[in-house]
Amino acid sequence: MSFESVLLRNRGVTGSTTLKVYESRGGYQAVRKALKMAPDEVVEEVKKANLRGRGGAGFPAGVKWTFLPKDRTRTLLCVNADESEPPTFNNRVLMENDPHQLLEGTMIAGYATRAQIAYIYMRGEFHEPFHIVQKAIDEAYAAGYLGKNIFGSDYALDVYVHRGAGAYVCGEETGLIESLEGKRGWPRIKPPFPAVEGLFHRPTVVNNVETLSCLPHIIERGADWFTAIGPPHSTGPKLFCVSGPVKRPGCYEAPMTITVRELIEREDMGGGMLPGKKVKGVLPGGVSMGILTADELDMKMDFEDPRKYGLLGLGTAAAVVIDEGTDIRIVLRNMARFYGTESCGQCTQCREGTAWMHKIATRIAAGAGRIEDLDILLETARNMGMMPGLSICGLPDGATYPIEAIVKKFRGELEERIRAQPRGRVEELLKVLN
Amino acid sequence: MPKITIDKQMIECRAGVPVLQAALEAGWDVPHYCYHPGLSIVASCRLCLMEMQMPDPKTREMVWSPKLMPSCQTPVKDGMVVRFDSPAVRKNQQSCMEFFLLNHPLDCPVCDQAGECYLQDYSYKFGQPNSRMVDPKLKNPKKDIGPKTLLYQDRCVMCSRCVRFTQEVSGTAELCIVNRGTRAEIDVFPGKPLDNLLQGNVVDICPVGSLLDKDFLFKRRVWELRGTDSICPGCATGCSIRIDHADGVVYRLKPRYNPKVNAWWMCDEGRYGWKYVHDRKRITAPLVRRGFEETTPAWEELPNILRFRFEEHVREAGSGKVVAVFSPFMACEEAWLLAKFIREVAPQAALAMGPVPLAGEDQHFPVGASGHAVKFTILKEKCPNRRGVEMVLAAAGGTVLAYDEFIEQTLAGAFSAAWIVGGYPAPWVDKNAAKVAEKFSLLVVQDLFPSDLLAGAAIVLPACSWAEREGSFVNAAGLVQPFDRAIDPPDGVKRDGQFLYEIAGFSGIFRAERVRELMAETMSAFGEVSVPPAVAEFAH
Ligand SMILES: Cc1cc2nc3c(=O)[nH]c(=O)nc-3n(C[C@H](O)[C@H](O)[C@H](O)COP(=O)(O)O)c2cc1C
Ligand code: SF4
Ligand code: SF4
Ligand code: SF4
Ligand code: FES
Repeated sequence: MSFESVLLRNRGVTGSTTLKVYESRGGYQAVRKALKMAPDEVVEEVKKANLRGRGGAGFPAGVKWTFLPKDRTRTLLCVNADESEPPTFNNRVLMENDPHQLLEGTMIAGYATRAQIAYIYMRGEFHEPFHIVQKAIDEAYAAGYLGKNIFGSDYALDVYVHRGAGAYVCGEETGLIESLEGKRGWPRIKPPFPAVEGLFHRPTVVNNVETLSCLPHIIERGADWFTAIGPPHSTGPKLFCVSGPVKRPGCYEAPMTITVRELIEREDMGGGMLPGKKVKGVLPGGVSMGILTADELDMKMDFEDPRKYGLLGLGTAAAVVIDEGTDIRIVLRNMARFYGTESCGQCTQCREGTAWMHKIATRIAAGAGRIEDLDILLETARNMGMMPGLSICGLPDGATYPIEAIVKKFRGELEERIRAQPRGRVEELLKVLN
Repeated sequence: MPKITIDKQMIECRAGVPVLQAALEAGWDVPHYCYHPGLSIVASCRLCLMEMQMPDPKTREMVWSPKLMPSCQTPVKDGMVVRFDSPAVRKNQQSCMEFFLLNHPLDCPVCDQAGECYLQDYSYKFGQPNSRMVDPKLKNPKKDIGPKTLLYQDRCVMCSRCVRFTQEVSGTAELCIVNRGTRAEIDVFPGKPLDNLLQGNVVDICPVGSLLDKDFLFKRRVWELRGTDSICPGCATGCSIRIDHADGVVYRLKPRYNPKVNAWWMCDEGRYGWKYVHDRKRITAPLVRRGFEETTPAWEELPNILRFRFEEHVREAGSGKVVAVFSPFMACEEAWLLAKFIREVAPQAALAMGPVPLAGEDQHFPVGASGHAVKFTILKEKCPNRRGVEMVLAAAGGTVLAYDEFIEQTLAGAFSAAWIVGGYPAPWVDKNAAKVAEKFSLLVVQDLFPSDLLAGAAIVLPACSWAEREGSFVNAAGLVQPFDRAIDPPDGVKRDGQFLYEIAGFSGIFRAERVRELMAETMSAFGEVSVPPAVAEFAH
């Protein structure tokens, strides 16, 4: 059975990034419809659809919007297009193939939250998506779809693209806000929450590109249609990325009933492993959620099932498949290196913990590990405050879940490889390094 | 006042303060780096975390939060219950201390901060004895960030206090953070060194030995220093300070918290303005001239000599021919004693105010701030006690002259005997002042440094710097602020207060407090002095 393309329905269509083609395929009808509803009716519809945030945390978008103060003025909307989680590219696919869908979603969210300015905060390395989205914005302005009196209503919205400068932590919503204000991307302490006081001290909503891209479909086809897709806690269509030694790495759309195994195996998705390759493990939610062993591939890619496998959550729903031939020490080191260089550095536990884990994992990967290093890694992960957290933002959760999961689930292999090191290797290496 | 419970103990606290501040004030030594009561709250060091009861979102019942909460970021609320003495809290402190020391060079033996370092203190009290990291430490650089300050980045705990200070208090924003994560460093912008009149405070608020004062660098181990509470004589602001000294030598000045005056800060003019104390050019022996004869009398003989000379002059010329010039560097008590003596020997004597040094304009911080936004002011009036001396002179009654009037009238021949007090840290005797010297047949000069006045003086008395004296200054806001003597005067010099006490007819040891009691009989302003509240050392 193949799934209906909703979010990706324009992918592959010639000229899909142009306003003309987008409109010819039914685009900009939903926003016209939304503008005839009251803003709160739009919020209600999105709440009813139970649209959970696609940016990683899975918080229901409609509910988030209700945190805005009732008597607010000058609300701001931030579109989180920072997409810096390692194997993740679903936002990029959406922006490269269907920028007007994102703009229409942004207009609907803007109208519902009564925001008159939206900032698209785009990952600095996204050169092509930037040009495509900027061109779409220009087109929309030229057509009178952005600016004042959108579609004859008295609603006005301006959209700006702001490009990041290469920090993962600027995807965290308050890091994003600080960065937009021209400061270091240091996540903020809460309260106040952005909904109350965010960008430029104004009530602010931050939503992910994919979250917003769902909105036109919810408005057009209704919340009931949306909730009919997938399980009740994980409604609507979802994009999944798959990479690694599979036949067809890429971004695919499916309801959240799909399992990791299906994502790898299905002919219209991963297409199975490359010849001679075998699954050793999968990092199913970007890298921050943790790891699955080859025996755990029946996990459902929804918002709830990952917890049963010791994972933090669905994350970005981007799966990296690790081949049987890959040394798990390299995987461990890769994870540790990413967070070791991406912690913003303001909180002690995160700044020092990620760097220490990086050092240990690098030494283990260099063939000079000690068994006790594995315990230090586990304890450091705990000391860094894995859920419920000890520091300002969620980065350390993402940093510790994969490390802990790799050490726990692959301890056998790690110990075996450490024991196979030549005698005196640790001392020798440390003598050179220190 | 809200009441909160910490470790089952109920305490009353000031409304609106963070739990951390309330705990510190109530005597809990809660470890903290990033929090400073004079700066914005960033809650980033994560050392001050406590267990707190929160209302359950569903039942509204108070339950322990599953998360440790930053006590610096949580304001007190009446009825709040928190736990500091708990295994989870201790575990967090312990692991934080391990983290802080991972890349620290452990070079305490050569670190100026050793002995007053919160990395040492917290490691000892809250940390663990050994390091589990075997891998190479990250070696961050040492940097020369300004004319007065060094940065040893390898000792930094990234509390960002220094950066916030330059942004929020000095308003000069020279400091910033560059790079990310464990490689983050404090730095200055290229070509823009840390150079503003409040910069020395970043060294004070740095909780570790990362920011260092070049002036104090490697001069003395801090545990050998003794601190004496004092008031800065640099300007009429009158900052509360501490003089750190050892073996009779001043090594540095540090601000003391005073909510009514300087808060936690002091300026560099004051901080480094004490060097004249140990200047070798100071006058260190009294001198008496009669005709061409010069003698150096013993201090015990001087009261009689002075009394005799003035009485002699009054007999010959009349008491209206006597004038005394008071310095705005004198303590109120000293001024009172001198006025008492002068009026005793010459009831009609005029009392004059010495020159009041002014420089530029008042400087407000953060730079460009006005009104309530002002956090610190350096006044253009570069002396500590014009107001106090004026109060004493006014209360003494009779003729009181401004400095200009004194010059004018002297040149017109109004006076033939004078007692002139200097005590200025910098040369103060201009041509005018030197010219008046010729008009006196009896001139007593009491001063720190030789000047043109001395040539014509019948009696020269060495004066003391404020670090060697005790008394009180009245600052621009009218606060009577006592200061204590930190060091002994140079050999051969007697404390001004003691000498004036004796000459004014008292016997025994001069204590400023005792003199203030006498002054208060006629000047109620001296009945009470303004002393800032004490702050526990752990509330840094
Ligand atoms: C370290 C870190 C990085 C993040 N990066 C991103 C990101 O690149 N894109 C994104 O949409 N959300 C990211 N998030 C999640 C955002 O904080 C936020 O939850 C999200 O943008 C909300 O949008 P949503 O509710 O539509 O998912 C990140 C969170 C953390 C803690
Ligand atoms: S938890 Fe880490 S990434 Fe997040 S604010 Fe703190 S130091 Fe920065
Ligand atoms: S230099 Fe000192 S004050 Fe500045 S961040 Fe480092 S430890 Fe804090
Ligand atoms: S402001 Fe005035 S009193 Fe305060 S430290 Fe500076 S010179 Fe001294
Ligand atoms: S986090 Fe509270 S003092 Fe630093």
